[in-house]
Amino acid sequence: MLQAALDGLLGVLALHSLGLMCVGVLIGSMVGFLPGIGGPTTLAIMLPFVMTMNDPMAVIALLVGIDAVGNTASAFPSILISVPGSSGSQATIIDGFAMAKRGEAARALSASFTASLIGGLIGPIILLASLPFLRPLVLAFGSPEFFVLTIWGLAMVGVLSGNAPVKGLLAGIIGVLIATVGLDVKSGIERFAFGEPYLWEGISLILVALGLFGVPECIDLARRKSSIAERQELGSGFTQGIKDVFLHWWLTVRSSAVGAWVGFLPGLGSSVADWFAYAQAIQTEKNAHLFGKGDVRGVIAPEAANNSKEAGSYIPTLAFGIPGGTSTALILTAFVAVGINPGPEMLTTGLSFTFAVIWTLVLANIVAVFICMAFAKPIAKACFVPFYTIVPLILVFVVVGGFSAHFSNTDLLVLVAFSALGFMMRRHGWPRAPLLLGVVLGAKMELYLWLSYTRFGFEWLSRPGVIILFLLVLVSVLYPLRRQKRAGAAA
Amino acid sequence: MSDLSMDQTARDVRRRNFEKTLFTLFIGAVLLGAMVVSWEWPVRASIIVLVLGSIGIALAAVQLISDLKSMAPGSARSEALSLEAPALESGNRWANVEIWSWIIGFLVLIQLMGFLYAIPLFVFLYVKVYGGGWLLSVVLAVCAGGFVYVIFDMVLHVPWPNPLIPLFKMT
Repeated sequence: MLQAALDGLLGVLALHSLGLMCVGVLIGSMVGFLPGIGGPTTLAIMLPFVMTMNDPMAVIALLVGIDAVGNTASAFPSILISVPGSSGSQATIIDGFAMAKRGEAARALSASFTASLIGGLIGPIILLASLPFLRPLVLAFGSPEFFVLTIWGLAMVGVLSGNAPVKGLLAGIIGVLIATVGLDVKSGIERFAFGEPYLWEGISLILVALGLFGVPECIDLARRKSSIAERQELGSGFTQGIKDVFLHWWLTVRSSAVGAWVGFLPGLGSSVADWFAYAQAIQTEKNAHLFGKGDVRGVIAPEAANNSKEAGSYIPTLAFGIPGGTSTALILTAFVAVGINPGPEMLTTGLSFTFAVIWTLVLANIVAVFICMAFAKPIAKACFVPFYTIVPLILVFVVVGGFSAHFSNTDLLVLVAFSALGFMMRRHGWPRAPLLLGVVLGAKMELYLWLSYTRFGFEWLSRPGVIILFLLVLVSVLYPLRRQKRAGAAA
Repeated sequence: MSDLSMDQTARDVRRRNFEKTLFTLFIGAVLLGAMVVSWEWPVRASIIVLVLGSIGIALAAVQLISDLKSMAPGSARSEALSLEAPALESGNRWANVEIWSWIIGFLVLIQLMGFLYAIPLFVFLYVKVYGGGWLLSVVLAVCAGGFVYVIFDMVLHVPWPNPLIPLFKMT
């Protein structure tokens, strides 16, 4: 294990990887402080680039670097203009913006960055600590257990990612069906290709991701045509904000643990981690009546949680090959494309890659916090960039990235089709993450199901692990459905 | 709120609910179509489609009933809030038409002129039309075009498709 840790560190510290990680941190930070562009959109745009890379360590450094820090810089717009830079910084607005209005933006920002740093360090420690427990568990699993695990991951993301469980499950199923498009090499059957050679290779995940996330976010940004009327000055108290975090160290540690736990559960994600952490802060801290009126603890709790959440989400992704959300689904796709196989291998022969992820999470958070603190003033100004400078640039990257899937004009048609689907899903409150996850997991799910059936017949259904996991699936699906039904009845 | 605007809001909600139901119907039809098509395939190829498709059709029926209930007059059910991203507001339909026109226009421009000419032109026009100054529009257009040219053309040697207008064909 020590050797793998050292190999992972050396791989990340190699000049090429380190440079790419810094690029990733810069991109992730920019995405964070520019409201309207989400982490998934950026990762979807990056996919065509990284798939041409040969060095797995470099891919880890770049993508994990982007993913790890998006929530750090997103505190800028949340605190300064009351617009969340990412879905993980919504709770920060409540007390952060109140502090900014009181002339304490600098204090709120430095508290946020310090909490993000500590959350970003505690998360990887939790990920590291989970490895000895995961290893025997993962190695004891066979294809039947992995099949039910993929179902569980998809069901969790489906029912939890959009507060619309039925729509989420349906989206996941559609995703799996999209994954079946193309020539099935095992049976030689052409599935849903309708004689069209373009579809024989299947539908590129790049096009699905760009269409579902890139274009609809761009449309939203263009529709809002947002102009920020009120500017907040940074004010003073930068050092006080750092001290605040250490003064409330136990809250920071607790919130980081909450974030990592939320990240570990597939489907919840950043947008829930910060609210969970905020809620536990209100429930457990003294003088809770001060929350919501510009209390620095209301900034510390969500910011620590949303950064540690990223590390937590890598636990199911790396150990079981089941991504917990959109970002990890895209990263998993890139990993597979460059020869990293998430799953049991990551805890045995590929352990150095797992450590590379852990080291990147640690280093990226340190670099991001340094950038945010050192360049707070210019970054604060950049939050006010008008929409018309961002929208055309994103569209260009989305279209060029989409064309790079097969270098065919048909790519652009498929991109438009998935953009329209993503737009309609967004318009009617259908969660899009389960669909993407379905596409990512579809092939694996099918393989595990077929292996289970051919090796064990129907007996695989009676394996104890399978029964326990199926019960988990049932609880995961039925509990939110029941809750929604009750809420519907109450309304 | 005036009677007129209340009437407008009610009409918007009705239209929105109708669109929502149509979308669910579309998803259900896709699932049904997938099952019908895969019926003749060998088990190896169809098992996942048939297993998940049948669950999907049942779920689509549940969702459809829920949508139809929300269409009923006097229904107080509000649209489910999404934790992922809020559903787009229904108002200002022209804003949707406007941005979709830009997207389709950009793609048409690519077909006519090719990527390397269409990109700077699109960026310039978009920034200029929405209030950007001449300098900003030109700088962003040059940056976007330059970036794509250097990375995709010079470094990655992307095989660009030939434009429909021969004048813009790259040598």
